[in-house]
Amino acid sequence: MDKPKNTLTSGLLADNTVLSACMVISPVIMCGDTLQNAFALIYAFSAITFLSVMLSSFVPRSLPYTVRIIIYAVIASAVYIPVKLLAQEFYPESIERIGIYYPLIAVNSLIVHQTEVRFFRMKRLNMAGSLIFYILGFDAVMLITGFVRELLAYGTINGSMADMDFLISGLSKPFGGFIFLGLFCGIYRKIRSAAVRQKNEAGSEANVPD
Amino acid sequence: MFLINDIIALLVSNLILTQALGTSTLFIAAGSRKKLIGTAAVITVFTTSGSAAAYFINSLLGSRYSDLTLLFYTIAIGILYVGLLTLLYYISRNAFEKYRKYIHVSAYNCAVMGTLFTIEQNASLSAEAFTLKSYLLSGFEAGIGFVIAALILAAAFGKLNSSKVPSSFRGFPAMLVYLGIISMAVYSLR
Repeated sequence: MDKPKNTLTSGLLADNTVLSACMVISPVIMCGDTLQNAFALIYAFSAITFLSVMLSSFVPRSLPYTVRIIIYAVIASAVYIPVKLLAQEFYPESIERIGIYYPLIAVNSLIVHQTEVRFFRMKRLNMAGSLIFYILGFDAVMLITGFVRELLAYGTINGSMADMDFLISGLSKPFGGFIFLGLFCGIYRKIRSAAVRQKNEAGSEANVPD
Repeated sequence: MFLINDIIALLVSNLILTQALGTSTLFIAAGSRKKLIGTAAVITVFTTSGSAAAYFINSLLGSRYSDLTLLFYTIAIGILYVGLLTLLYYISRNAFEKYRKYIHVSAYNCAVMGTLFTIEQNASLSAEAFTLKSYLLSGFEAGIGFVIAALILAAAFGKLNSSKVPSSFRGFPAMLVYLGIISMAVYSLR
């Protein structure tokens, strides 16, 4: 019973889009310096990825690989239009702040290249569930990155002043994004391996005969 | 002296080190000399020919239909993608089998799409940049920038993936921190 559950939720931690699979990292590095940017990117990524992958799952598998990839990218680019128009209605300032990274979300590897490997081998309901966890995995990384970088770089939390004694302004810059994401990824791996080791030790202790 | 100035100019306008475009593809390219040459060549072809297509799309759409830009860019890259695969297939079946994976990896990624949008953004700020020549040059420059960033990463790739690096930071995290330090150096040149 454990195996399907792991497969469904693995996108959240074990196979996280950003930290494990090294995908969609440009928007996290460049735009993940404030919570406001993080919210705007979360909205765009979640809406575009979910709708695009679900619609792409109806593309016949009998078509050649290259044609399928182009169709997935075209579907994502078409989904991007209403998502952007809605964002202009609700978060008009976010579009300007995020700039070119907004359209780039539509051609992310999760939609274009990884759909066939990760999602299209599942039944549609399972695929939708798994996809939601992959999206949540990205959202969590984006939120944590936006929160920490905004706090340390600007001394604010979602635009409100926080009582910070020191600031690291470099964290708001692209190089700060690279270094922060590298450290975040290393810490995530360390915690994961410690958790796995602890789980294995607990398992082996339980198997020791009296 | 001119060469040094040119190298500094290329570094400062490097889309990977200044805008993190195509970082994931860079990690693939830096793995070996063969991958570096294959990926960098295909990326340069896509950014250069894609920027020419972008020029015509931007001229056609104007600012009124800018929401459709991504859709048209995607279709244009799709045509180039099929065209490049077909061309390679007819030139040499052996080369097709060897190099088609680089075309698949390079067609739709942030390095190519990001280049097209950056060129469009620069052209919207300055009328002088809105020429076919300027688009082509910027696209080619972006491809060369990718090669430079890949060479910089390839120089340290072995060490960043060696057993001397703590296992949690080995590979991807160490490469990100390394690129961050290089990016910081490039930032100071601006």
